[in-house]
Amino acid sequence: MTEQTVLPTTPRRSALRSRWTAPVAVAAVVAGAFLAPPLIASAGPADLPDVTPEQLLAAVAEAEPLPMSGTVVYTARLGLPEIPFAEVSGADPIALLGGSSTLRVWTDGTERSRVALLGSTSEYSVVRDGAEAWTYSSAEDAVVHYSLDEADQARYDALATDLRSGNVPELAGELPTPQEAARLALARAEEFSIVSLDAHTTVAGRDAYQVVVTPRTSATLVSRIVVAVDAETSTPLRVQTWSVQDTTTPALEIGFTDITLATPSDAILAFSAPAGASLKEVVVPLPDAPDGAEAHDGSLPDGLTITGSGWETVAQWVGLDVAALVAGDPAALTGLPGAERTIGSESAQELIEEFMPSDGSGHPGAMTLDTTALYDQLTVEVPEGLLLSSTLLNVLVTNDGRVLVGSVPAETLRGMA
Amino acid sequence: MSPADVLDPPAPGSRAPAPVLVPQATVAHRGAWGRLLRSEMRLVFGRRRNIALLSGLAAVPLLLGVVLFVTQDSALGGQGPGFVGRVTGNGLFLVIAALFMCLPFLLPLTIGVASGDAIAGEAQAGTLRYLLAVPVSRTRLLAVKAVAVLTFVGAAVLAIALVALVTGAVLFGLSDITLLSGTTVPLADGLLRVAGVAAYVALSLTGLVAVGLFLSTLTEVPVGAMAATVVVAIVSAVLDTLPQLAVIHPALLTHHWLDVAEFLRVQVDWGVLGQGLAVQGAWVAIFGALAWSRFTTADVTS
Repeated sequence: MTEQTVLPTTPRRSALRSRWTAPVAVAAVVAGAFLAPPLIASAGPADLPDVTPEQLLAAVAEAEPLPMSGTVVYTARLGLPEIPFAEVSGADPIALLGGSSTLRVWTDGTERSRVALLGSTSEYSVVRDGAEAWTYSSAEDAVVHYSLDEADQARYDALATDLRSGNVPELAGELPTPQEAARLALARAEEFSIVSLDAHTTVAGRDAYQVVVTPRTSATLVSRIVVAVDAETSTPLRVQTWSVQDTTTPALEIGFTDITLATPSDAILAFSAPAGASLKEVVVPLPDAPDGAEAHDGSLPDGLTITGSGWETVAQWVGLDVAALVAGDPAALTGLPGAERTIGSESAQELIEEFMPSDGSGHPGAMTLDTTALYDQLTVEVPEGLLLSSTLLNVLVTNDGRVLVGSVPAETLRGMA
Repeated sequence: MSPADVLDPPAPGSRAPAPVLVPQATVAHRGAWGRLLRSEMRLVFGRRRNIALLSGLAAVPLLLGVVLFVTQDSALGGQGPGFVGRVTGNGLFLVIAALFMCLPFLLPLTIGVASGDAIAGEAQAGTLRYLLAVPVSRTRLLAVKAVAVLTFVGAAVLAIALVALVTGAVLFGLSDITLLSGTTVPLADGLLRVAGVAAYVALSLTGLVAVGLFLSTLTEVPVGAMAATVVVAIVSAVLDTLPQLAVIHPALLTHHWLDVAEFLRVQVDWGVLGQGLAVQGAWVAIFGALAWSRFTTADVTS
């Protein structure tokens, strides 16, 4: 420890001290490198030609679905109690109830597509190929295959062939042009809302127009809906739904963060159930009316009544056994896909069935998530029953078994109960 | 400090005491840097504690594999967090499961031990001033230390991956790999993806190495630097779980570690991986610069 080993310095001391400016400079450069691109990106879009809301809606209606792939970020700020959904079950659609989720989307613009909900080490995929569809949950290694029965499949194929050969079935009456449809849609929207254009914006690096739909009434929880439409392709790029309760951030937001307009490779759009995964087949009936227009003939299912119109609509169900539904009682879940929970190995399944109260139909109770506890946590007690309150939607389950749902303030529902 | 550290057999020209007053960075002897690096590597990989650390890490996949093999027919077979449940079906997943298991704590601990010791260990043993007498500038000396620690961390990741691969192949066999997206890809593609996982894990530890080196230049107590490095990793992981701090999450050292799952999706998004590596690069740049400033200006008295 002699003095000689100290740096031979006195005159160089200031020079050495100046070396501490190096990390400061590096930090500045790094901060610049990370902060500059978003700032440049948000610098504002190029000047876009002026359009009217009618022209824009017509362009949207006219736009062909494009082959594309991209990343979508979905954020829900519904004001529900914080529940770490993703940590409970990995990538699971229930995570969409709250917080931010990332999805990847691929589509060839016609009948094949794949949407994947990403978890940190898991993924929930929905793959559609024509009339068939699959969901795959990596956390549970489970496939659900949705398909049509043979007769419906034949009907679907015939329709698809007709469509491809340009032999579109003649519909009764005059076919509206896209412009006409947009005008009609706008008129319908304007029955209950004010449609306007907001400043141009940039979504996923693309210039976009913004359409704002504002309800005329103040008796709804929705303050406005903002749709960003790509200026070039007229594809909607982002939809923000704002609640009257939060004026700083949208309650629901779904939008592309990056988008590529190219046909995805066949390997991505194809799906076959992986070996070893549990497979569940679900046959879906094809609706009789091919255009779906006749399906809605104005009559509602039993027990459902609609009151109000437009934004103030309230739906009311009578005779729904909510408690049983929430508890995962199979009797209340008849026909609901995904009601069965299978656990890894067969012996584990046996073990669980041994210890779980089973109702004889082979369904163990709710295993992965205590839905009753979740329900209790999400709802609050009010004199009329239980209220599930979010920033965009209120649900009131009355003590006498009625369920009221509406995008209206809780007081309105309670008044109707 | 083991006596071996102090009495490291001097490689020709490297640690031989040179005249103390030779101003640093005057004569850069040809090959001095290379010899110093070789000597440093011998030192790092020759230390008994480092060998023990490597063997311990390599034992993790062996242990995990054996446990899964023994229990695969019991009620809990095929269960487990992350990728553990998939190992019994395909030995390739043992590599991923083992790396995920070591990532939160064991690998940061390894980095802490290796990088925390790099400078502070020499200072405590009193060998640092002799080291500085080598006709190699302090900047290069720091670079040698950094390269040696990075090599050691790389070796640790490689050891886990290789032992896991062999264990998995022997116990469960290797087969075509089913990705998180439900797509099954051929074994060769799977091996490439798993190699990508190991490479990403190794690269995403570089930021912590830089932090550890910086902390090591601050003190003469190696244990302090080691512990502080591990604490940095743990604090970063804890901050990453607080939703109130969502704004700073993308900049956290540990935030992008799990992005490695990207390799197991049907289409690997290189942007996501690139972002994770860019964040590591930023930490390396800032803490590398801090370590350089500190080490090249510090008064070394021991």
